[in-house]
Amino acid sequence: MSEPQMHGTGGCAPIIEIRGLGKTYDMGKVKVEALRNVDLDVRRNEFIAIMGPSGSGKSTLMNLIGCLDTPTAGTYTLNHQEVSNLDDNELAAVRNREIGFVFQTFNLLPRATALHNVELPLIYAGVSSRERKKRALHALEVTGLADRSDHRPNELSGGQRQRVAIARALVNEPAILLADEPTGNLDSKTSYEVMELFIELHDKGQTVILVTHESDIAQHAHRSVHFLDGAIVGDNRQTPRLISTEHTPAG
Amino acid sequence: MNSARRSIGLSEGVLIALDSIWANKLRSFLTVLGNIIAVTSIILVVTIIQGVNAEVTGLLTAEGADVYSIERSGIAFSKEEAMAMRNRPRLTRADARFLRGEATTIAALSVGADRNARIEYRAKSVDGANIEGKSYDWALIDQTGMRAGRYFSALEVDRNRTVTMLGLDVVEELFPGLSPEATLGRRVRIKNLHFVVIGVLETRGSAFGFSKDDVAVVPIGVWQRLFGYRTSLEFRVKPRKPSMVETSMDEARTLMRIQHRLRPRDEDDFSVTSSDTFLDLYHQFTAGIYGALIGIVAMALVVGGIVIMNIMLMVVTERTREVGIRKAVGATYQQILWQFLVEAVTVSLVGGVAGIALGYFAAAGIASFTPLPFLLVPWSVAAALTTVMVVGVVFGIYPASRAAMLDPIAALRHE
Repeated sequence: MSEPQMHGTGGCAPIIEIRGLGKTYDMGKVKVEALRNVDLDVRRNEFIAIMGPSGSGKSTLMNLIGCLDTPTAGTYTLNHQEVSNLDDNELAAVRNREIGFVFQTFNLLPRATALHNVELPLIYAGVSSRERKKRALHALEVTGLADRSDHRPNELSGGQRQRVAIARALVNEPAILLADEPTGNLDSKTSYEVMELFIELHDKGQTVILVTHESDIAQHAHRSVHFLDGAIVGDNRQTPRLISTEHTPAG
Repeated sequence: MNSARRSIGLSEGVLIALDSIWANKLRSFLTVLGNIIAVTSIILVVTIIQGVNAEVTGLLTAEGADVYSIERSGIAFSKEEAMAMRNRPRLTRADARFLRGEATTIAALSVGADRNARIEYRAKSVDGANIEGKSYDWALIDQTGMRAGRYFSALEVDRNRTVTMLGLDVVEELFPGLSPEATLGRRVRIKNLHFVVIGVLETRGSAFGFSKDDVAVVPIGVWQRLFGYRTSLEFRVKPRKPSMVETSMDEARTLMRIQHRLRPRDEDDFSVTSSDTFLDLYHQFTAGIYGALIGIVAMALVVGGIVIMNIMLMVVTERTREVGIRKAVGATYQQILWQFLVEAVTVSLVGGVAGIALGYFAAAGIASFTPLPFLLVPWSVAAALTTVMVVGVVFGIYPASRAAMLDPIAALRHE
């Protein structure tokens, strides 16, 4: 998050480099081709929206980008590391280090406090408990929820839960923030606030990948990639509808 | 790094488990019921057996472990055997004199018999005190010593003097308020004879709740005048050296066969038994109980383990989404496995600890209502805890591996 701000596509090697990526599900007699021959580059500090109707392959792509699944064809380089043929434990380590997930349903541990939820990735990174607490509190500060750190998810509103989830996604300082319909369960006002948070994080240098089928949410991104039937059908640079105030990061 | 990860997982796993146990109290109780039963049985039975052991061993070795007995009837294993033993000839003082005269391995041989009778002193009396007739050698073998006064002398025994050494209970009953020393020289009456008190016996403690101080010792010849000559006598034999017990028992047996004029094919018409004989028998008996205990405990643990496995499978299903979340943020197979294994072992241990507490109170309760001492045996606690840990691991590994193998995408979608 402390890297130089870099809007646009100039100069830098892509943080995500996808070539000929395909995913075929073997359902016994039938083979379902969920994704075929996808090429995609995402540069550092891009804010990209992946769009498409359900069944278009965008979820499959998200699972692959998020290292939750492995492709059946093609290559995927994430932050200079080829990840398309790693085993489960190696993928877990990559997820831990490089990916921050934000889900539509928040996916917080219901019996754990906000702070503990945010600490979770650090636990699996083997960070000491003092350091964990410090970093988790900092992440909650970034998302504006430091004063709710001892609350459990059922004591928080939807927007607040999503802020906890975003803090959890940020706490390991991942290469990409991968948000799957992050406003799908929120009302429009809260959606707007959460999107503002994404924009703010992007302004601070964070690479953000937003998976959504809502075009007004996608309009916040600087680039939108459209999927249909497992393939890319459009890749547009766009001027974000909301231009947040310029922000100069520290360092 | 790996160990750092593990230790974090351990405390976290324990906390998750305790939290989940607390959240589902009834279910948790049923889950660990098998363990509670198993561990309670372990603690209770071991405590009881160890308590009985202490009593029995104390009882059998009061005169020293090397002292053995020669009696008309030994340990009978059947009714027929017991009947046959009754037809054996009495052991007499002549037998004892022969053994003393001929044996080379015997340091002392005391002749004894006992019968319950009333002891009187003026208006006071003790009913059913144990009147023990002893020969002079008893003074050489006896280990407990005198509180006041002295043992009888060889001369007093030979001349059948009416002297007695009283146990503390008898002294307290007959001479309330008097010190043991003050009772010396007083005359007590047993049946039709008056006895001079020459000594007060040191306390012999109690066995199974019965005091062994309710006693009066008199010379064996006088005892026979009181109770007749038809009672078979019991010999207590002390070998010259503790290491000679076996040799001495063999020699005594040979001499007794000669004295009783037995032919080579005849069976012994007397029994030679050491405290080891009884202890061996007793240990066989307790080994049987321990065997039965292991059976009960194993059964309870298998049932308990299966219940734990079932509950853990349910827990894994309930928390599929949690597994998905943990995997999404980077938990490895081993870390998930470890978490659920720690949880299973914790659940199992909670049952074990509850069982130990229950067993402890049950054993303490038994100790307070019976004469048994209360001995909580540390190894039984250690064995119980180890066993339930093993049960936790054995029956927890399958549910834990089910959790660890979950596909993160499917797990995240799980409702």
